[in-house]
Amino acid sequence: MAKYIFKFPDIGEGLEEGIILEWKVKKGQRIEAGDILVVMETDKVAAEIPSPKSGTITQLFGKEGDVIKVGEALVEIELEAGEETAPLEDPAKATKVEAVEEEGAGVVGTLEVATGAAVMRASDEGLEDKPQAQETKKRKVLATPVARAMAKDLGVDINQIKGTGPGGRVTKKDILQYVERQSKTSGQTLATQPAYGTQEPRVEVEQLSQIRKTIAHNMIRSKHNAAHMAVFDEVEISRLVEIRSRYKEIYAREGIKLTYLPFILKATALALKKHKALNAEMDLEGGKMIYKKYYNIGIAVDTPRGLIVPVIRDVDRLSIKQIAIEVQNITRKVEENKITLDDMRDGTFSITSYGSIGGKFAFPVINYPQVGILGIGRITEQPVVRDGQVVVGKVLPLSISADHRVVDGAEVSRFLNTIMSYLADPISLMME
Amino acid sequence: MDYDIIIIGSGPAGYVSAIRAGQLGMKVALIEKNRVGGLCLNWGCIPSKAMIESAKFYRRVVKDAAKFGIEGIDRKKISFNYTKAMNRANSIVKRLTKGIEFLLKKNNVEVIPTEAKILDEHNVSAGNRLLSTRYILIATGSTFKPITPEREYETSIQQFYEMEEMPERIVIYGYDAPSVEVAQMLAFIDRKVTLLVPNDTIMPLADDFLKDYALRLLKKEKVNVILGATRDKIKVEKGKITFADEFIEYDLLLNLSNRQATLPQMDIDLRMDGDFLWTNDNLQTSVDNIFAAGDVNGKSRFAHISSAEGLFVIKWISGVKKELDFTKFPLNMYTHPEMAQIGLTEQQIKEQGIDYKVSEFSLSANGKALAEGSNEGVVRILSETKYGEVLGVQIVADDATDMISEAAAYLQLESTIYDVASTVHAHPTISEAFMEAGLEAVDKAIHK
Repeated sequence: MAKYIFKFPDIGEGLEEGIILEWKVKKGQRIEAGDILVVMETDKVAAEIPSPKSGTITQLFGKEGDVIKVGEALVEIELEAGEETAPLEDPAKATKVEAVEEEGAGVVGTLEVATGAAVMRASDEGLEDKPQAQETKKRKVLATPVARAMAKDLGVDINQIKGTGPGGRVTKKDILQYVERQSKTSGQTLATQPAYGTQEPRVEVEQLSQIRKTIAHNMIRSKHNAAHMAVFDEVEISRLVEIRSRYKEIYAREGIKLTYLPFILKATALALKKHKALNAEMDLEGGKMIYKKYYNIGIAVDTPRGLIVPVIRDVDRLSIKQIAIEVQNITRKVEENKITLDDMRDGTFSITSYGSIGGKFAFPVINYPQVGILGIGRITEQPVVRDGQVVVGKVLPLSISADHRVVDGAEVSRFLNTIMSYLADPISLMME
Repeated sequence: MDYDIIIIGSGPAGYVSAIRAGQLGMKVALIEKNRVGGLCLNWGCIPSKAMIESAKFYRRVVKDAAKFGIEGIDRKKISFNYTKAMNRANSIVKRLTKGIEFLLKKNNVEVIPTEAKILDEHNVSAGNRLLSTRYILIATGSTFKPITPEREYETSIQQFYEMEEMPERIVIYGYDAPSVEVAQMLAFIDRKVTLLVPNDTIMPLADDFLKDYALRLLKKEKVNVILGATRDKIKVEKGKITFADEFIEYDLLLNLSNRQATLPQMDIDLRMDGDFLWTNDNLQTSVDNIFAAGDVNGKSRFAHISSAEGLFVIKWISGVKKELDFTKFPLNMYTHPEMAQIGLTEQQIKEQGIDYKVSEFSLSANGKALAEGSNEGVVRILSETKYGEVLGVQIVADDATDMISEAAAYLQLESTIYDVASTVHAHPTISEAFMEAGLEAVDKAIHK
């Protein structure tokens, strides 16, 4: 029967690799097309990868925790009769690809993609004659004698190591790199060295998570490409506070939590419509400005794993109530770690809210290539002058960072003024 | 683009990569202004091996025939006919050249017999043709660096193997394996040979053990070895070289010393590294899609390394990116007995501070070697003590240059000395010495 190698597909823009979080299938298990095979931790999210074919799983490539690059094999499926596909290419017949000679792998049954077009066994060496469904005992991994001796000596399970030698053979270098990686993960290398004569470890070394790497990458990209500028201001929102507290209880009966965020989202979306440069993207190389006619606003959410920015779509068209529901849904998804790449795509502007934690003003980093990001500080009671009287006001501090390449300071201030006028007079939000 | 790759030069780097590129379905042009096969095939490896074989044969008949029970050979009537030996060498070269031409054709390589000129990164002119290409591989080899600017007194290796007669007094100016080989070969056929070495030592890449062994072999054949004769310290005149108040008279001065890149004609500037083309670890020159393999990049002077470099480039282009490991290439010396080594030398192991063990087995206790009358030699294995990994191997034996391939496999597969000891070797063979050396390292050799 024909076998099908399912490769880790490109599921998001610029995604290069993912970590296997959890296998949802076992070797020998029958699956239907669409069944979830595996949960992968990608740049920012846990993505469930469904099977494109029906059949029986004959091989899983990689263990939980392994890093799999896009295009690398994930599972081998023995297809049912009727499921037609290109069979595994016979390496001997491959003409275009050098891989036959020494590339590829066979360690934990790994297959490597040679040109991207074909997946082929690099070597039959070390591969089982017949896949056995009940087989749980591991076959002997291909490894050089020195690698074996070294693994034994260092107490490393050689089956855990992906070989880079010909035919996927585990070499001395692979063992050394594995051990080095392990010791870095557990922070041993530096931490066990007493610094300056003390016995206490002076540093703690930790492997970067995928999400941290992505954040770092994105932040640098933003700071490198955009010309950051900021404007800070304050708005008195007594009326908004009043409206919100009134509707908070009404909504609560329907199970909807109403915060200030839906109002700010709505105000921002309406302001973006009036100040199109803030809802745009600059194509400097192409010499073009791209103005977006949709208003998808990302909200930065703090999670124990790091910051992620899910997007609320078409905010301009949603009512305050609908926005509140969307915010609630997305927050729940974040809490349950179910955010997908789709949830984070296509944002046109971002909002970051740190007021609940503390802080008045901030200089947030633009979610490049977006043009701006609005920062929301803590609402405080402050003396304000109203009708010639000093009264107690509710003051919301706002910060905005914008890309000065795209938009000048005056327009940024005008944009912020528009947002502030909406928030100061919440009825106007309904009037547009 | 007319071609996927244009390869300039058809020596061991050029023709091997052309065949491989053809096998992978690339459209290939191979431009050669002289003879297909390059220096190695036409004026190097192959003719020299043929001549060495003749010289060894002659010497053996003269020295050993009687010992082996062959009578009736009149020493006075035996002589070495250099011209005939050279004819034999030439016929071998011809046959191999034909073979390569056939292979090139079979693999759809278009051979263009003219001089190439690189116009820019994608265009090459060949005679009156203008060719465009995705990649260019420069494999134009090297030429000798003359002792005197006028080159008036010296002979190159190319000229040497085109000579039909060999005069009496020969000075070889050189230091590495080919110099030692030619010196010994000429001594075997009764020439008076001086090996004038521009360095402090011969064969700089070889283990000291082999260097000493080679010097002993030369001394035995009465080759006059003079070390430290740097260019500034020697004075070359017609028929006479002066070094440190010493006169060496010569009929032929063969310059096998330093070499320099042979560059194709170019309208573009490629970065140089001394006398050679600069390349990065991927063998790319300063222009990304122009590669350089073989002697021209100065990384090595060995044909097999040139071929390996050429194959590496083709692999790299076809998307298979691996490191090129120069430590796992054998180093062969076609002396008599032959010498070969692979991996780290004892000096390198010491420098790296690795705990190691040397295990040797002499051929004087090897049955087949004794029976063949070629019991001069040794197999020497250097292994690291913790895991027993084989780090380096040196061999002196009649067929050392072939035997080294076994060691190459040990290194390639990261074998331990225990693997060597437990690999069954047929008896009687010279290669049994490997197993014995392995056992010696683990415990104790059987026949020692």
